[in-house]
Amino acid sequence: MPWSGTLEFIHIAPAASYEMEELKEARLIPGRGIEGDRYFNGTGTYSPKPGVREVTLIEMEVLEALARNDPPVQDKPVVLAPADHRRNLTTRGVPLNHLSGKRFRVGETILKGGRLNFPCKYLEEILGLPVFLPLYNRSGLNCWIEKGGIIRQGDAIEPIDL
Amino acid sequence: MTARIIMKMRVASARDESGGVRVLTLKHPLRDVLPEWEPGAHVDLRLPDGKIRQYSLCGDAGDRSQYRIAVKREENGRGGSKWVHDNLHSGAEAHVSAPRCNFRLHASAKRHVFVAGGIGITPFLAMVQAVRKTGTPFKLAYCSSLARPPFFEELQRHCGDGVTFYPASGPGRRRFDAFADLPEPAEGTHLYCCGPQRLTESVRVAASRWPQDHVHFELFQPAFDENFVPEPFGITIASTGQRLHVPADKSALEILRQAGFVLSSSCELGVCGSCECGYRDGAVIHRDAVLSPNARQDRMMLCVSRARGHVTLDL
Repeated sequence: MPWSGTLEFIHIAPAASYEMEELKEARLIPGRGIEGDRYFNGTGTYSPKPGVREVTLIEMEVLEALARNDPPVQDKPVVLAPADHRRNLTTRGVPLNHLSGKRFRVGETILKGGRLNFPCKYLEEILGLPVFLPLYNRSGLNCWIEKGGIIRQGDAIEPIDL
Repeated sequence: MTARIIMKMRVASARDESGGVRVLTLKHPLRDVLPEWEPGAHVDLRLPDGKIRQYSLCGDAGDRSQYRIAVKREENGRGGSKWVHDNLHSGAEAHVSAPRCNFRLHASAKRHVFVAGGIGITPFLAMVQAVRKTGTPFKLAYCSSLARPPFFEELQRHCGDGVTFYPASGPGRRRFDAFADLPEPAEGTHLYCCGPQRLTESVRVAASRWPQDHVHFELFQPAFDENFVPEPFGITIASTGQRLHVPADKSALEILRQAGFVLSSSCELGVCGSCECGYRDGAVIHRDAVLSPNARQDRMMLCVSRARGHVTLDL
């Protein structure tokens, strides 16, 4: 399935529970994460837990669906801003749920999909928003960095392994 | 208890009140609207060494554009207030959590009685503003070592006859006597107290005839029993059956974290409510100052509370 997407937003948080901060560009270091992010620093909420989360991604299309309450699992729409979902990269046109175990390019870097991200009660608590159910099965993808480098807002995202 | 977002805020203004109290107004450089709060709420302030201090919000809860806190310099304290006074000048960055409330006004109350001692006045500064808007009658007793305590003018402006000052010095010296100065208990009259332990203890004793759900305390320090000797105990994790041993010199929180559990905490003194956890099957020794007697039947604070022998935690 050929596809092609873009990187809409880059966010990092300096430590667990800190607000996310938007970056125009960021450096990806294989084996670590995004420079300055809590998972790069080993201070994330889930840093002691097994599983890779060097970079986490979520689809802009999911946020838009939540804002439409589509499917209608909530009483009302949930507005989850790109700074609030606590994933690092917000993408458009990228089928994240199909990329577990696959490599893809983000600008000059290469990511490899790990496990699908699972919505957490922690996010619900910290936002005070009912996001657990609406994010179920579309909470994004946790990735390894296979080739590091600089990523920039607006970068193209392209498949390597189809 | 819930996790809260931490914001990098700016000190918009800093001024000094009497009694070594610094009043800080905090704004967010990117957000015009801050997380909402109710009077009695506090925020966590993160110090550069990773320690956390809690301060009651003392501004107008209706104004979502800024938070106000007041910090008394404690020369013999744990160092947090000195850091605030030495570093949080106008324009400085402050790492502040979203507010949490353990000490709230009871909406159904027909009358509020507030008793403040020293810097324990801070939650009441927000409460009197809110109560004035709703029109519920209230009285505030404010005990201080100073003839002219912090926020003297502000309280006169907001409370008029509703405030009585009890200065421990100066010509107007007046002693607060919890037995003589508290009103008789009455249905719908709620009593709130915040201040040093000798004040809260005297109010607690004097208010023993009050309905317990009409009396509310905000504690900065838990009332520890000096004779308490911690004993080792065992923990079973309900979801997995995993068993853990808590030695006498460690807390349940420390042992769970060592075992890889991700748990939030803040004061680690049993007063903030961050590390609340459900439990079943066990005789828990509750040593916190937040949980109500009802909540204690199946909830505990992992930072200070322990168990007799063994407890199963809802984790």
